[in-house]
Amino acid sequence: MKMLRSLLPLTLAAAFGVATAAAAPKGGKLNLFGWSEYVPQAVIDGFTAETGVKVNYETYASGEEMLAKLLAGGGSYDLIQPPDYIAEALIKGGLLTPVDQAKLPHFGNLMPEYLNMPHDPEQKFTVPFMVGTVGIVVNTEKVTTPVTSYAELFSAANKNRIVVLDDGRELVTAALYTQGKDLNAMTAENIAGTRPVLAAWFKLIKLFDSDSPKTALLNGDVDLGLVWCGEAAILHNEDKKFRYVLPKEGAHLFIDLLAIPKDARNVDNAHLFIDYLLRPEVSKLVSDEFPYTNPNAAARKLLTPEQLANPASYPVTDRKLDTFRHIGDSGAAIDELITDLKNAN
Amino acid sequence: MSEPAAKRFPLPTGLRLLEWGLGAWTALVFLFLYVPIAVLVGYSFNTSKLNVVWQGFTFRWYRELLGNEPILRTLGNSLVIAAVATVLAVVIGTTGAWLLHRFRYRCARAIQTLICVPMIMPEIVMGVSLLILFRVASLELGFASVILAHTTFCFPFVLVAVQARLQGLDPALEEAALDLGATPLRAFWLVIVPCLRPAVISGALMAFTLSMDELIISFFTVSPASRTLPLQVFGMAKVGLNPMLNALSAIFVVTTVAFVLFTEHLKRLAAR
Amino acid sequence: MQALPAADAENPHARRATPMGWWLLAPMLIWLALFVVAPLLILVVYSFCSRDDLGRVVFDFTWTNYARVFDETYLKILARSVGYAALTTVICVAAGFPAGWYIARRPPAVRDRLLLLVMIPFWTSFLIRTYAWIAILKSEGLLNATLLAARVVPQPLELLYTPVAVVIGLVYAYLPFMILPVYGSAEKLDNALVEAAHDLGAGPLRAFSEVIIPLTWPGIAAGVLLVFVPAIGMFAITDLMGGAKVAMIGNVIQNQVFKARNLPFAAALGVVFTLLFVASYLALQWRGRRARA
Repeated sequence: MKMLRSLLPLTLAAAFGVATAAAAPKGGKLNLFGWSEYVPQAVIDGFTAETGVKVNYETYASGEEMLAKLLAGGGSYDLIQPPDYIAEALIKGGLLTPVDQAKLPHFGNLMPEYLNMPHDPEQKFTVPFMVGTVGIVVNTEKVTTPVTSYAELFSAANKNRIVVLDDGRELVTAALYTQGKDLNAMTAENIAGTRPVLAAWFKLIKLFDSDSPKTALLNGDVDLGLVWCGEAAILHNEDKKFRYVLPKEGAHLFIDLLAIPKDARNVDNAHLFIDYLLRPEVSKLVSDEFPYTNPNAAARKLLTPEQLANPASYPVTDRKLDTFRHIGDSGAAIDELITDLKNAN
Repeated sequence: MSEPAAKRFPLPTGLRLLEWGLGAWTALVFLFLYVPIAVLVGYSFNTSKLNVVWQGFTFRWYRELLGNEPILRTLGNSLVIAAVATVLAVVIGTTGAWLLHRFRYRCARAIQTLICVPMIMPEIVMGVSLLILFRVASLELGFASVILAHTTFCFPFVLVAVQARLQGLDPALEEAALDLGATPLRAFWLVIVPCLRPAVISGALMAFTLSMDELIISFFTVSPASRTLPLQVFGMAKVGLNPMLNALSAIFVVTTVAFVLFTEHLKRLAAR
Repeated sequence: MQALPAADAENPHARRATPMGWWLLAPMLIWLALFVVAPLLILVVYSFCSRDDLGRVVFDFTWTNYARVFDETYLKILARSVGYAALTTVICVAAGFPAGWYIARRPPAVRDRLLLLVMIPFWTSFLIRTYAWIAILKSEGLLNATLLAARVVPQPLELLYTPVAVVIGLVYAYLPFMILPVYGSAEKLDNALVEAAHDLGAGPLRAFSEVIIPLTWPGIAAGVLLVFVPAIGMFAITDLMGGAKVAMIGNVIQNQVFKARNLPFAAALGVVFTLLFVASYLALQWRGRRARA
């Protein structure tokens, strides 16, 4: 074993020496950590052509994944795309670099209703990228009765015909809405109080899927869903029989943001890229690819009437919409409840 | 070593029956393995972008694939990472299996158990702890980090496959070589390695396959520059998996299968 | 015969390790120390920590994570995961053993290629393969269409998003890992042995059960290890093909890191999971040695 000890530092040095030598030179690049395709390739190519900044794009499939890697100390990124409540957590944890609006000439394109929101009240750390809701999608060919609320979605007649997001917080939120409670009041009692509601719902659900709930709907394996509006918008574009409804009781509104991590190395390039994304013609390209709600007023003017008429992207509604706040460690209680309920089935 | 079955005397009827039954069963197994692949190839010609319902025939996705830089680049990364990790896994796994077979080590059982730990450790736990380890050792994430991680979960598969082969291998073989004056290294190279070849090949195939398809450990250990194909694919699921990925899989499978069958055919011609 | 491949006491001709033997083994030992033992130690340390409001690890000392692991909920999930893995393994042995054996009996030129053909499907993306399975199993899918056309069933079977789909997915994912090691040990057998058994009056079935299976046992054991062990922690197939309705231990750990952001609890689950495996592995080896003695 002695020899092992003497060899260990040597191997370490060899393995890591190679790695550091291989690290790319600084300057002229931007490390972006975002959803694949959320920033279309054409946008990245356009940015590189104009500024000469090389964009390295690393992807994740959910905001939580991104946070997990950041918290474990992974990577050094210049720009990330967190959803609002995760950005709030990052701000509280002191993990973001302030965004300098003076470097963003196109910032004024953003609609004021999406600025200074509770997650970043002074609009110091984030820039809105895309906005969306969570609502009900209905295959109107198969479901003839109107579905306008969570209660109607989770009715006994729909047993085994429902797909929902595999996301504990979204489900508890829906249950809280039916009980008339505040969706951010995630106290232990409130979470426990949703148990009977969710237990009844879980018996009706055919599958849980956060990544691509549209698949089961398109396949005809289910006829109703509680999904991200972007999924519903894609379904609606594919076939007009899919209709998106914001539930009567209220719905979750989310904002995906752009933010610069604290240890970013290319802060100036990050600003350049944010401003590039705020240009109307660039923002339109994102909307073409991702049919979420575009918070950029100038970009909206460029969208086709058809895009603006998609009820999932641009719902005309007087429904109550609320955003998620950072809820600390209540996440653990939610996860425990959901695990327990799935286990009971 | 076994003679090829074909060169031996005709088998007795009972065994021929058994042989025939096994052949039919194997054909069924191949059917099971390739039906989804056939479906996948079929969908690569589907006009529907959402890749779920059949709508019509098109070559569009093959054209788009050739222009899709991220897919091609991440595929390149994946191939490089899988190839290097496989070579490392084969070297570590084969020598490890042979040494554990050849010598009696103190705490051999502890070593053996440790080897199996990467197979049981949930990927996510391994991914996070490797990331923390790399950070503590201030190893910058990049190709090196992914390759180290992939080799770690690949080599046990090679080792176990080779070990299964070594059991019951005639020890007299190596002894004979040594008695004839070969050095231990030559004996290993000339006698043991050829005997182990089938197990090494199957181990290497397993290692390559595991590395090509790994998602979670890769997620925690890649940098933007070393991003792998599975990460790209899972990221794309958000907008609907585009048939470009089917096209890519189709090209991949069809060329490899064609290559295999072609070399097979060449060998047969040469044998005549 | 023992249940799992063992390192020691297997080869009666093995010699006591010389310094040279240790030197040669050193690279692997170092690798194990760096990338298996060190991460395990990190895991053990984390499992006694707690998390802060944001989900960062706070270094204090607590047993609460372990207390939670032994909650009935998680024990039930663990038992279920083992059950699914065991069923998968049994099916893989039944399907994969004959195939591995048959491939090994082909002429050398054919064998390597057949082996390659076993693995090629798995060089495609997991997600794309899974979507192909969804297209086959869905209610208006290929399988139901075929069965309906052949009038085998009066109405479409509900397969997708059921435990049956999960098992199909698991078998598909792990079958090659049974075929390959079986092939590895079947290939070295002499045909003459099988023929001798026959000449001595054994029917094909007896030849199979009394000669072929015992002689290829190391390969089967290795296959069982390579299928059963990773299958316990599998999560993506339960999510995509089972509709994420039933939690498996892999899903639970995954959710702790990504959704609940409770790395210490995930670490505790990981530690217990690994220890359970080590204990059962050592117990099996010990029994194997006793059985031989």
